[in-house]
Amino acid sequence: MVSKLSRPQLASLLALFAGMVVLAVLPAYIDPYSLRIVTGVLMWAGLACAWNIVGGYAGYISFGHSAFFGIGAYVTGILMQRDLGIPFLATLPLGILVAVGVAAAIGGPTMRLRGAYFAIATWAFAEMLMQMAIVLDITGGTAGLSLPAYLNEFFFYYTMLIVALGVYLGTWYLLERTRFGYRLKALRDHEPAAEAMGIHTTRVKVQAFALSAGITSLFGSIYAYWVTFIDPRSVMGPEITDQMVVMVLLGGLGTVWGPALGATVLWLINRYIWSELGDTAIYLPILGLIIALIVLFLPNGLISLLPGGRRGHGLLGRLLRKL
Amino acid sequence: MDVLLQALLNGILIGGILICLTVGFQLTFGVLHVIDFAVGGWVMLGGYAAYWASRLLGVDPFISVFFVFVLFAGVGCALGPLIYHVRTSRYARPDLMALAFTFGIFIMMRGGALWLWSFDSRSVDSVLSGASLSIGPVTVPLLRLSAFGMALLLGLGLFVLLYRTRFGMAVRAVAQNRDHAGLMGVDVKRVSAYVYGIYTGITASAGVLLATIYSVNPEVGVRYTLFAFFVAVLAGLGSVGGVLVAGLVLGLVESLVGTYVGTRYSLLVVFATLYLVLLISPKGILQRGI
Repeated sequence: MVSKLSRPQLASLLALFAGMVVLAVLPAYIDPYSLRIVTGVLMWAGLACAWNIVGGYAGYISFGHSAFFGIGAYVTGILMQRDLGIPFLATLPLGILVAVGVAAAIGGPTMRLRGAYFAIATWAFAEMLMQMAIVLDITGGTAGLSLPAYLNEFFFYYTMLIVALGVYLGTWYLLERTRFGYRLKALRDHEPAAEAMGIHTTRVKVQAFALSAGITSLFGSIYAYWVTFIDPRSVMGPEITDQMVVMVLLGGLGTVWGPALGATVLWLINRYIWSELGDTAIYLPILGLIIALIVLFLPNGLISLLPGGRRGHGLLGRLLRKL
Repeated sequence: MDVLLQALLNGILIGGILICLTVGFQLTFGVLHVIDFAVGGWVMLGGYAAYWASRLLGVDPFISVFFVFVLFAGVGCALGPLIYHVRTSRYARPDLMALAFTFGIFIMMRGGALWLWSFDSRSVDSVLSGASLSIGPVTVPLLRLSAFGMALLLGLGLFVLLYRTRFGMAVRAVAQNRDHAGLMGVDVKRVSAYVYGIYTGITASAGVLLATIYSVNPEVGVRYTLFAFFVAVLAGLGSVGGVLVAGLVLGLVESLVGTYVGTRYSLLVVFATLYLVLLISPKGILQRGI
């Protein structure tokens, strides 16, 4: 297999391994603050990847993914309260299960809606869930919910790293290598034609939506345990969806590595503004401006600037195709 | 009984402004085929414009509303061609890219307002604030009544423009079929830009009226975008006539829930209703949408 690789491909394979080694030993060499930033990059890269499954591959723009992030965060948060005391790792599958169940239940009817209606429906759903989190007692309402603190940055770094890597490799395999991925792309490109080819489009869409929701919820769970305090705005607020959308658009919609690129760039900008200006209000207009400019001038995202990078056929994409 | 009458009246008065808020949105969808996420942003900016006009220049909102209309119509005419460009581009999914574009503009507006004017709610005072009229058991706040009248005036103006002028005929032609209208000599791009301008003008004016009744803060935009979506979905996207019914329905729902269940549940009920309507009857309750 290796003999088929050309010299530049071998070089980038080595670079990939080198990158992994660097990520694996990184925590030993940087200060805790930087470590938190890198952990954040990993989390957002995973979230952007999850959004991309529905937004990029299925071609359905979801403005409601914060709902699933919040579901994961609240499932973990509620189950880890003192009176229940369920261990963290046991709450993860439960959060995924709830999110997948909810996504499958609401996905069936909403995924029949055409693009714009779907966007509105998911947005309304997310806002509804946030309002529910505000008025319910079990979520602690606006006062929020405190989790037992586990102050081990290394643990969260490696958890995020493993989950994010798993998510990327898993989605890459599933979307670029299996029939499921081909079905999804077929319905994105022309839904009636895909249906005429015998693809059960609604089922495929709902599967993609549920997969995306499950991943988002997983990150929500880890995030809740990491920050140890959650309230409706911080884990279900529209900013979470906003960032996921921007990261994917910035990196490259419907590409494998675009979301990772977009997430890295945007999260570093976010943290830079936070630390330099101490004021995050200016971050939102910048976010909006980036979306508008990307749509106008760079619809294929930053990844299209890389050599041969259009639509995920870049160096990494080509390389992984060879494997 | 009196409480019910009062709630119904309040619902109708607010419903009139909500209609005003949504007609432009529907017109834009009909002509440009764009769902404008920024609709609540225009409402919010209109409210701030009225606030600053009254604060710095001492102009009553019922006078500044006309200037706000002209100002925002100008801004909209400048922005319209960009949206038209994205919508008619050769991107893979121009409809979704246009949606993302207006989403970006909305975030910019909300973030800009937060950054410049912080979270504080600001109320806009008018000479009519506080005055009211008593008819039998119900009291009619003059402010709401005049705002309702102003909204009707704006809406009526739009209908006259659409159905009684050559420009209106061009707009309706473009809404029916863009290509054919173009072949008949209609400058589709220019008409689209003007329609977007009219829409932003009307929406910002509705924002002035809403700011005098409630108050304005950077977060109201989200709420009004939701309301516009609600009314539009209930009416059927693109249907201007259905808005008249749907706007009143939303006004009544909000007022009744606020009176009998509690205001903190009103948003929850509105979201849930919107979601259910989308599922049960995505073309709107009147089955008029496209």
